Amino acid sequence: MNRLKLATFIFIAATVNAVNAEQDRVGGTLGYGEYGRPATIDPITSNDMIALRLTELIFNGLVGINEKQEIVPDLAEKWEVDKEGKNYTFYLRKNAKWHPKGADEPQPFTAEDVVFTFKIMAHPKTITPLKVRYEFIDTVEKIDNYTVKFVLKRPILNALAKFTFKIIPKHGPNNTNYLTREDPFVQRPIGTGPYMLKEVTANQEVVLIANPNYFGAKANIAQFVAKPFADQNIMMQALTFNAIDMIVTVNPRNLPELQGDKRFVLQPYNALSYAFFGYNVRNPMLNDARVRKAFTLAINRDEMLKSFFNGQGTVISGPFAPGSWAYNLDVKPQPFDKAKAAELLKEAGFQAGSDGILEKGGKKLALTLKVPIEKENEAVKRVVLAFKNYLKSVGADVQVSFMEWQAWKESIFAQHDFDIIFASWVFDDSADISSLFHSAEIGAWKNNFGGYTSPEVDGLIVESKLTLDHEKRRTIYRKLHEVLADEAPYTFLWTLTNYSAYHKKVRHVSIHPYKFFPYASSWFISGDESKI
Amino acid sequence: MTQYAQTQTTVSEYSELSILQRTDKRDIAYVVYGIVILLMVVCAYLMAIFGWLPHDPEEMQLELMLAGPGAPGHLLGTDFMGRDTLPRLILVIKAYFVPGLMYIAVAILLGGIFGILSGYYGNKYETVVTYITNIIDSFPRLILMLLVVAAFKPDIYYIMMVLGVTNAPLVSQLIKGKISMLRQKNFVESAIALGIPDARIIFKHILWFNCRSYLIIQATLGMGEAILLESALSYLGFGVQEPTPSWGNMVQQGANYLLQGQLWSSTIPAMAIMFTVLGFYLLGDGLNNMLEGKRQS
Amino acid sequence: MMVSRSAKPVVLYLTRELYVTFFLLIGVSLVVFAVLYSAPGDPLAAVFGGQVLSDAQREEMMRNLGISNTWYGQYWSWLVKLFNGDFGTSLRSGQPVLGEVTKLAKNTFYLTFGAMFFSLMIALPIAIYLAKRGTDRLGWVLMMFAYTTSAVPLFWSAYIVIYIYTRFFNTLPIGLATGESMNFTQMMLPVFMLGLGSGIISETVRFLRDEISRVFSEDYVRTARAKGVSVWKHALTEALIIPVSEMIASKIPFVIGGAIIVEQIFNWPGIGRMAWQAAQDRDYPVIMCITLVTALIVRLTSLLQKTLYVIVNPRASQETKTS
Repeated sequence: MNRLKLATFIFIAATVNAVNAEQDRVGGTLGYGEYGRPATIDPITSNDMIALRLTELIFNGLVGINEKQEIVPDLAEKWEVDKEGKNYTFYLRKNAKWHPKGADEPQPFTAEDVVFTFKIMAHPKTITPLKVRYEFIDTVEKIDNYTVKFVLKRPILNALAKFTFKIIPKHGPNNTNYLTREDPFVQRPIGTGPYMLKEVTANQEVVLIANPNYFGAKANIAQFVAKPFADQNIMMQALTFNAIDMIVTVNPRNLPELQGDKRFVLQPYNALSYAFFGYNVRNPMLNDARVRKAFTLAINRDEMLKSFFNGQGTVISGPFAPGSWAYNLDVKPQPFDKAKAAELLKEAGFQAGSDGILEKGGKKLALTLKVPIEKENEAVKRVVLAFKNYLKSVGADVQVSFMEWQAWKESIFAQHDFDIIFASWVFDDSADISSLFHSAEIGAWKNNFGGYTSPEVDGLIVESKLTLDHEKRRTIYRKLHEVLADEAPYTFLWTLTNYSAYHKKVRHVSIHPYKFFPYASSWFISGDESKI
Repeated sequence: MTQYAQTQTTVSEYSELSILQRTDKRDIAYVVYGIVILLMVVCAYLMAIFGWLPHDPEEMQLELMLAGPGAPGHLLGTDFMGRDTLPRLILVIKAYFVPGLMYIAVAILLGGIFGILSGYYGNKYETVVTYITNIIDSFPRLILMLLVVAAFKPDIYYIMMVLGVTNAPLVSQLIKGKISMLRQKNFVESAIALGIPDARIIFKHILWFNCRSYLIIQATLGMGEAILLESALSYLGFGVQEPTPSWGNMVQQGANYLLQGQLWSSTIPAMAIMFTVLGFYLLGDGLNNMLEGKRQS
Repeated sequence: MMVSRSAKPVVLYLTRELYVTFFLLIGVSLVVFAVLYSAPGDPLAAVFGGQVLSDAQREEMMRNLGISNTWYGQYWSWLVKLFNGDFGTSLRSGQPVLGEVTKLAKNTFYLTFGAMFFSLMIALPIAIYLAKRGTDRLGWVLMMFAYTTSAVPLFWSAYIVIYIYTRFFNTLPIGLATGESMNFTQMMLPVFMLGLGSGIISETVRFLRDEISRVFSEDYVRTARAKGVSVWKHALTEALIIPVSEMIASKIPFVIGGAIIVEQIFNWPGIGRMAWQAAQDRDYPVIMCITLVTALIVRLTSLLQKTLYVIVNPRASQETKTS
């Protein structure tokens, strides 16, 4: 991950020179608003972002990622990799202690816990989204109390970055074979991290307090409180009326309001994600790359970005987030060009019918766009409605159909019963797109939902998988980017800049684009608000 | 919906005066207001059907989103996509119209069957019908609707179907009450003695002669309820979905900007809801007093 | 027959009704189950969320979780567990459902009955005024007020109230604002809002107005009043206690429905919010439990009302069968 040079993390510009003594920084409570509440708070069974953020405060991994996106020691002090790249030996730190379980004394962290974590993760009865991610690990072995060895099934590129998974204690869960959501541990987790769970209140706020026994630098802020909201408008009001100090992701519609408010800092962070319209090439009309390209040309992405997202984002041209090393900056996004779009459609054999809708061989260019419903889907609504309008002006008739989320998922991924979808991919920290466009990934519940096939793309993907050389892989990805931009299995839209908003009394804030809180222990709350 | 019917004691069949003479002027005013609203609804329906709209309801002006009334070219302002509010308000009627009629039909049909089974045919069916209607009555309506809509599809037909079923117990109770009142007067017994077939007694004498005004009133009040429930569902994200406009989703989409001080785009559809529902309430009141010849003090 | 009539009718009535309530709750659970079962989509999505599984893996998972393949198998195992006092665990959080629901149900209970009380406080005076004085100028204004509050969408009026409140007092009137120590307005505003906006004021006014004027126009009351005999006790029972209790019993489901909205807006931790979340997640043990709890509240309220009716009017125990 240290190669993520293009990542554009902008850190708070406010200098901290006004702060004189360390002592000033310690203490205070930071209440932050979350839209919804986490199902579980352990790192294994949880599958929502709210829980992911909390586990970032409570737990540690073997290795961590610093603000420059470099791998740094965390629970492991150092590590060794053999020449083949299959054996990873981690030497663990000896001063780490688990949070106290109930009234017990804090227990020391050992190699047993690491082995235990992996075993529980891999157990067939444990339901966890991590399983797929860590199937490349073959065995784990405890060498001594503070040394563990991982054996991989095959060498993979950048494997070290994957050892950021969180370690849970052996004495934590009641069931030591596998972890289910019924285990009390998932609601009352104990970890090694800078914060420990104090309680979940009757109002369902999750209260974390600083861990006095933390092995690293002690956290400044004494208490973190995650407050659940069921209405984003109210959450926003809660920030402006000081009921909370921070919002993790500000809804784009509230940006103008906050930009004018001197009390708050708006901090951008790039998420490794992008939005797109995906086409089902099983539909013969969409099987023609010219049609897909025409659609891309017919929509005004800049205008949408400006009107709906306050201009906070970057229009993209290919299948990677622009913050990623794989993104090919030489491929420029196609500008809005309605005339060219009409021309391409004509070239593809479409003629205007009597009602203004294009036809080919007696069949109308009428397509269904399926979108999942969320309560807060306003931005989605805007984009798809605008899309419908843009395409109407070039003679394509798009029917927008909002569906319940499960039903949507099933009709896209299992039944493939759609023409167009609007969705986003979120990348964790690799830029692996092989499952999205390879023809072997066509089928029920596989990621190539559109059924896109291209021998050239298949070849490039296989080639990129075989190489362990980063530069070579980058060259292949740049080529892949170029091909996919031209073939347009998706209309690539944009990567949005997320904004976190917080009260200016919170200082030294740096944010991880995906996990959000890894650096939270160095944040602090200034008692003196005038010193800005 | 209110149980008006149970409170009726006098039937003004013997009144010499015509219906207009013996009703209070205020009731006539209510009915007139209600009828005006109804006429507007019908007009809007026709306008929507034939496409006589003052503005293209789909056209977006992205540089003019959430404009207040009186913005250039937009009499009632624009919504969150820069679309003109007025034609969308009108289009809503079209989206509501047929499902609304279906809702009333389901409520009356199902309620009618229940009511006649338990009221006319009596003991045999009464226990079963009471059991079923009690089950339906035990659900908070919004929860049942949320459940159905989240499980299947946020479609206005599903919403109206659930509403129809949940209103059936009330209709059944009204009809049953009416029948037992007629029985007390030996009306039913004498009809049977005269050899009039059951079907004719039920449809002509009971339902048509004696229940129609109740049913009309219930339907009126029910429409108001339907509009409000749809808007509640819209807030929860499970109302009528874009691009079909509904007053509920229009208020909801505008309300996202309400706390920022952009009041208009939710207030205009909210006012449309208010005047219409008020119209239904007053129409129901007026009709009740007029048709049932009831007047306090 | 004579025995049963002279025996305590209330006790008899109650036993019979509780019996019926039991079967009703079974029916309610069956309806909910049927809806959930026939819904398209994966019922276990909440558990498998984020994972793409093959059919074989899914089967295996279901076997591990002890979930039957058939609908009657699933319903039966749920029912058997229920009779052992086990409502199951939430698919989403893994917590025992009954504990979570009862913890939040008391908040909802407080909200709904508070709101009910509040709307009666508004509706009763208006109804009495309208019944006694007819629709004069003030009466008309009062009536229009009652009707208007019930004619606007609840969530919109709640937003408007919050908007005005924040502009005037510069704080947000929601529970979370101060955590544990909510002040009086923060506690009462959601209750007021639900009482005002759940749509029951207009109907209460209408119903009570008609009932009161009916009782006062009955012959014996008129005669008694003309003779100067006091009939207030009878009139109170007939015109107020019975209709008001009837109103409460029949409108409770509406107020609980409105509570879903108010809980979302005012961040009130209650079962309405939980129901909304569970409906989205298809968390069927939670949905089943919440609908059963609300159905129980509804049934018990109506039972209470009928008991009251029987106490006030013992002859009625023979007439009110199961309805």
